Amino acid sequence: MDKLSREEVLHVAHLARISLTEEEIEKFRGELKVLMDDIDKIKDVKDFDDGMIYTPIEDNTRLREDVVGEMLSARAATINAPKKNGSFIEVPVMINE
Amino acid sequence: MSKYLDLSIKEIHELLVKSKITPLDLVDEALKRIEENKDLNAFITINDKVREEAKDLGEVDPDNIFFGIPIAIKDNIVTKDMRTTCASHILDNFIPIYDATVVNKIKEAKMLIIGKTNMDEFAMGSTSETSYFGSPLNPHDKKRVSGGSSGGSASAVAGSLIPLALGTDTGGSIRQPASYTGIVGMKPTYGRVSRYGLVAFASSLDQIGPMTRNVYENAALLNILVGEDEKDLTSVKKEKEDFTRLIGEDIKGMKIALPKYFISDIVDEEISKRIKEVISYLEKNGAIVDVVDMRYLDTAVNLYQIIAMAEASSNLARFDGIRYGFRASDVDDVDSMYTKTRGEGFGDEVKRRIMIGSYILSGENAKVYYDKALKVRDDITKEFNRIFKDYDLIIGPTTTRVAPMLGITKDDPHKAFMDDVLVIPVNMAGLPGLSVPAGINSKGLPIGLHIIGKAFDEATIYHLASFIEEVL
Amino acid sequence: MSEFTPTIGIEVHVEVKSKSKLFSNSANTYGMATNTAVNVIDLGYPGTLPTINKEVIRQGIRACKVLNCDITRKMHFDRKNYFYPDNPKNYQITQNRTPIGRNGYVEIEVDGIKKKIEIEEMHIEEDTCKSAHRGSVSLLDFNRAGVPLIEIVTKPCISNSKEAMAYLTKLKELLFYANISDCKMEEGSMRCDSNVSISKDDTFGTKTEIKNISSIHNVGLAIEYEIKRQEEMLNNGEIIREETRRFDDKQGKTILMRVKETGNDYRYFIEPDIPYLELTDEFINDSLSTLPLLPDELREKYSKVGLSSLQIEKLINNRPLNGYFLGLLSYKTNYVTAVNLLLSDISSYLNKHNKVVTDTHLSYEKLVSVIEALETGDLSNKNVKDLIDSLMETDKTLDELKKEFNIENITDDTFIKNIIIKVIDNNPDSVNDYKNGHDRALKYLMGQVMKETKGTVNPKLANDMLISLLNK
Repeated sequence: MDKLSREEVLHVAHLARISLTEEEIEKFRGELKVLMDDIDKIKDVKDFDDGMIYTPIEDNTRLREDVVGEMLSARAATINAPKKNGSFIEVPVMINE
Repeated sequence: MSKYLDLSIKEIHELLVKSKITPLDLVDEALKRIEENKDLNAFITINDKVREEAKDLGEVDPDNIFFGIPIAIKDNIVTKDMRTTCASHILDNFIPIYDATVVNKIKEAKMLIIGKTNMDEFAMGSTSETSYFGSPLNPHDKKRVSGGSSGGSASAVAGSLIPLALGTDTGGSIRQPASYTGIVGMKPTYGRVSRYGLVAFASSLDQIGPMTRNVYENAALLNILVGEDEKDLTSVKKEKEDFTRLIGEDIKGMKIALPKYFISDIVDEEISKRIKEVISYLEKNGAIVDVVDMRYLDTAVNLYQIIAMAEASSNLARFDGIRYGFRASDVDDVDSMYTKTRGEGFGDEVKRRIMIGSYILSGENAKVYYDKALKVRDDITKEFNRIFKDYDLIIGPTTTRVAPMLGITKDDPHKAFMDDVLVIPVNMAGLPGLSVPAGINSKGLPIGLHIIGKAFDEATIYHLASFIEEVL
Repeated sequence: MSEFTPTIGIEVHVEVKSKSKLFSNSANTYGMATNTAVNVIDLGYPGTLPTINKEVIRQGIRACKVLNCDITRKMHFDRKNYFYPDNPKNYQITQNRTPIGRNGYVEIEVDGIKKKIEIEEMHIEEDTCKSAHRGSVSLLDFNRAGVPLIEIVTKPCISNSKEAMAYLTKLKELLFYANISDCKMEEGSMRCDSNVSISKDDTFGTKTEIKNISSIHNVGLAIEYEIKRQEEMLNNGEIIREETRRFDDKQGKTILMRVKETGNDYRYFIEPDIPYLELTDEFINDSLSTLPLLPDELREKYSKVGLSSLQIEKLINNRPLNGYFLGLLSYKTNYVTAVNLLLSDISSYLNKHNKVVTDTHLSYEKLVSVIEALETGDLSNKNVKDLIDSLMETDKTLDELKKEFNIENITDDTFIKNIIIKVIDNNPDSVNDYKNGHDRALKYLMGQVMKETKGTVNPKLANDMLISLLNK
């Protein structure tokens, strides 16, 4: 069976920000190839016209009036955060500043 | 043991109005049944406040047949102060701080939320076996799956643990498990029911819908769920209507299309035979059923894979361990926070789909795969519209086979999609579709009939479904 | 000796003025307590969906108008996918394929030569959250997350730092005047990135991007530094890499931040949560109806009523005063005198008390009566200085104030006559000088009259009377 290369798997894992164990990399080399072959079939479909839909909803989008609504307390805003620091949510230092 | 929950909603309602029983009796019975059928693994979380809520419900409203009726909610619909996991490790301790719009509606209708049902992780899968909490079982045969992704809701209703449940359907996830477990499951028209508070899998396909024991209760529950929501720009404003209004009418002159593809050799012979029997019965009762050619139906799975995985890769990007959910321990830089949290937090099916989804949108691939899929999606929608110029409904089997044994589709990335080959086209076109029980096969396993309607014409689907339910 | 031609393109982000955020209804404010101007949508909570703020779309339409862009009538939004802790959903909702405006321009003048800086496109998008860095951790405040931004992108058509600075000055003036943005670079409500490349021929050289420059002046310095740096590199045979740099204003240098990966892979796709938005003529016209006069329109209008260019620029730089003056134009009065008053005594008062003119009691009627009194000589400039506090702080009319301050007495002929006679008697030398034709002596005597009366006499009246008495 065809498989992706290690690098190809690591590339898509990087795009999706997923760490993989060596075992997983090996497993996904085959599994991802199956899916890539699946999606490739779209290339052979002859489309009928130039129309394109990204949502079944054809109505014009409604606009919201510019009025301020209810907001959260700092406590509620951070209640589910795994790491808090006072009223802030904490992450490891962001270097790309 | 009391058996109130085996009665119809109407009958239960009468008992409540006459004060023969209380909502607490119903809740206690449901909790007992859930406890006794723990092996079905239908629930992830039980609402530990539900008995209090039942006591505090107040006067019975004689005009509201859902007053005090317990309901189960699929665990990808957020419930304030009640754990919502999407059957994933990454959210296994997540307590939402707001209610989904449908949950508000359920609460306003004075229904009692008994708990959150099991499902495929983030609704990705067709057997509910990708759940972090283990697979729910099919009450008809506990060695078989109850389908997916709304497998827990299907198990709970089919196993008579609860009369009503909510499911969600992105590529058949309400109808296919309904078919596998012999219950009624409706995916409403895209835009009918607000998605606000439904944890998005594929935003342009997802829709919440009712899963029930019979057609009438399904239509009545849909009455509660629908309506334009200012919080969801894809919800649509429509005249208020009663979806039960055509139930029980005769079907003389009803025009029904049966696409060739739906009875082709991809469908199990026993199922095809059963569907044909039902069709001849419909014809005997005055319906006109024509076999039609429909293009693009066989491309739907392909479209689904591309569109659903692409959208999912973006929708699930927010699970990063920052604002909520699980964060991997020992991460000291931003990149490892992302990759370890997501690597440890997601299961394999989710990982596969978001990796492929990212690949689909990456660079030039977006044109090759995604844009092309949107074009063909337009074509398949137009093809449905063409058929609906001449026909009221389209029918076929819901699934190509009956509920499979546990374990056989797990870790087969391709097969996971093939269970939904007949139901996916409906999501592509945003149409309403329903699975209604159409008998059993030689092993006693349920077969489902799939009814597809015009956009926003759920009432006609219920019309035919109620007829089939009545005569079978 | 430079034989290289620089090519510069500028991207500007401005925060749009509105009460609420772009995709949620939490407050669009600056300076609130950490994480209190947020709701579940800004935090990217699972299940939340965007809605669109009407006012932001209106502001976008206004920005199209003032920057001469074609308005896109049918638009959608797109998701820009990238993982970063300040990006709550790990995708940003922006406009990639259908920006609200295209093909605009801003006219600038450098060294007397006019040039149109062409605008490639202008789009609406959401801001990220704010991060602060403390050693090994960063702290996130989501108040800014979801604040509406407009990004304005020029074509690579700017030739030097002077043009770049003139463009930014003009852009800032336009957006500020149209009330679209505060454009405060120091508070981050206007942010500027410059792309700089140099080349010896018609082809473009490799460009570097200089991010987040903190003032228009620094943009000029950064561009000049960058051009010089690139010239030196090329002259030394070095190769310029595509990279992102920042400007360090203390060192006066651009500093490398990161080398760009081969093409940013933002995996753009159409935001499925927001259906198409179509702008009707009615909506566009309605949005534009509240657009205030822009600086160039003001300049033309003001020069027609006789203001000097110095007065015009001073007025335009003071928006509240300018707004007040615009209102005055519907009254018939001497506008030059009015502007002089506004820019002198009235401005000093306002600055001293830290007020804006619309917060005072200076009605147009009152101002017009003051101007008239100055014209006829009923009031001296000294009188105005004495009256200013009362004019600004009370509703009393000028006549009432004159009474109160005994300013009316000074037109009493006998009183003035007596004073003048006294001055003539005390200064015989000056009287002689005057009679011998020395005009300066008249000024001296007039000064003495004013001194005696502590400046309270009507100067025109006193002058006339002095001359007639001297000529007796």
